[in-house]
Amino acid sequence: MKRLNLGRFAINAFIAILALFILGPIVWLALHAFTSGWTYPHLYPNGITLQWWSKVFLDSALKTAIRNSLLISPIVVLLSMVICLPAAYAAGRMNYFGRKTFMVGIFSANSFPKIGLFAAIATLYYALNLMGTIMGVIIVQLLGTIIYMTWIPAAAFAAVPKNLEEAARDAGASKFTVFRTITLRMAMPGILVAIVMSFLASFDEAQGTYLVGAPNIYTMPTEMYSLVQNYPIQVAAVFSLLLALPSVLLLGLARKHIMGGQLAEGFQLK
Amino acid sequence: MSLPPLLLVFVFVGLPILIGLTFSLGFTSGPNRVVSLIGQQIHRKNHWWGTLSAYQDVIHDSRFLGDLGLTIFVTALSTILVVLLALSVALYQRLIGGRKASILVTLSIVPLFVPVVISAWAIHTFYGGDGFMRSFFSQFGINFPTLTSTPSAIVIGTVWTSLPFAILMVSSGMQAIPDALIESARDCGASGARVILNILIPLAKTPIIIATSFTAIGILGSFTIPLFLGPNQPTMLGVEISNFFGSYNRPQQSLVMAFIVFFIASGIAISYVWSNVKSARESGRL
Repeated sequence: MKRLNLGRFAINAFIAILALFILGPIVWLALHAFTSGWTYPHLYPNGITLQWWSKVFLDSALKTAIRNSLLISPIVVLLSMVICLPAAYAAGRMNYFGRKTFMVGIFSANSFPKIGLFAAIATLYYALNLMGTIMGVIIVQLLGTIIYMTWIPAAAFAAVPKNLEEAARDAGASKFTVFRTITLRMAMPGILVAIVMSFLASFDEAQGTYLVGAPNIYTMPTEMYSLVQNYPIQVAAVFSLLLALPSVLLLGLARKHIMGGQLAEGFQLK
Repeated sequence: MSLPPLLLVFVFVGLPILIGLTFSLGFTSGPNRVVSLIGQQIHRKNHWWGTLSAYQDVIHDSRFLGDLGLTIFVTALSTILVVLLALSVALYQRLIGGRKASILVTLSIVPLFVPVVISAWAIHTFYGGDGFMRSFFSQFGINFPTLTSTPSAIVIGTVWTSLPFAILMVSSGMQAIPDALIESARDCGASGARVILNILIPLAKTPIIIATSFTAIGILGSFTIPLFLGPNQPTMLGVEISNFFGSYNRPQQSLVMAFIVFFIASGIAISYVWSNVKSARESGRL
């Protein structure tokens, strides 16, 4: 009995510490969005206000950043789908060696330090006149989505049982019908997770976007770099809440599939 | 059909890296002409294969050595902490389960949905001079140290951001282990520790190795977290690569550092690929 109590105490303490570790910083920052100030060492703010929200919505630079982010990320995800999904389908249907070579090729590109790649990419960008353009930002963000948009759907396509498709063909379904009603439908959860992860990767991308886009194009994450230096902490807090909003919405959408193992499945070279 | 993404990766990842490699070896003509004209302390090749002068510059730079030490230290410590945390949560979920287990897993996934810039800034304020930790402990007369701008804060930040992926990998690996295996071991009198060490961890080895290598590679090249949370000097190589490229205008040395990080990351990546190949061979798929 005593041991059981000790075990229960230990797990409750573990949950409490993990909650403080994970949620503490976000909650602390979020609270600042509604305060007029916070003086150390008080645990209560000096006052409560909504003035920072109007400040963000009236600041044209911040508004532009929000607009850019909401414009660029969907384009990046769509482009990524067009480029990567057919490849993921092909990879899912390849033999083990072909698939592995394809995926390791994509993966090795991912293990080069991003910041070093962005430094190296500058040469090519100057040559192609992509520096400081929307197209340049889109390509840089696209690179970060490829691994999600190929790996996760490839695993999902590979997991669709072949005999199911063959049975449908035997029953007289056309190739396209089989693809639409069986293959695509069964692979859908994986594709959904890939879309969510790609959107987050693009929406959160800061290093490459800053190097390529600044000073012409700022997105919400790159605006944060200057925000934290030039504005009071409360403005950064408001901006953070806005920036986190799409992610939280997507969390609700895909949580079941992500925690259900679609993400983990995609990262094993089966 | 698999051509488009490979082509994209080749043009915008492979090609820049190859051109960058020639530049780091002192090839300053062709596509490297502009960057060689703008940059400072450029070394030009003196053999047909180039020169290693830029590499020597970097290796003999005491600043680089400090950065490298910090980068390896943070990567090793954070990876160990992340994997241990992921293991404990996943094992608890597999062996005991219940509502508390799902609270633990859900908590650990939260960082996946917070943009890195925000988490870095949130952690910066939380552990800063007038942050919550110091305010809270000062109520009890305890002077909690200011962690922001120290290596500890980088470790906190990297553990925070790397946790979700590791948890998802390890917990899905553990969930795939059949109950029958655990129960039959228990029936034969195996203790809880024995079940964990001799059954659960060996059977979930591949996902654990994948989680470890991805976490380590991610931390090795991290930029935003050390930029917001770390000290100015020494800093992690991700930040230093950007400093050398931008502020110091020494692009050649910046690329040399990128290749050194890439070299270390490749070592980790090979262990990842190898673990996958081995597991495929064991299950008869190869």
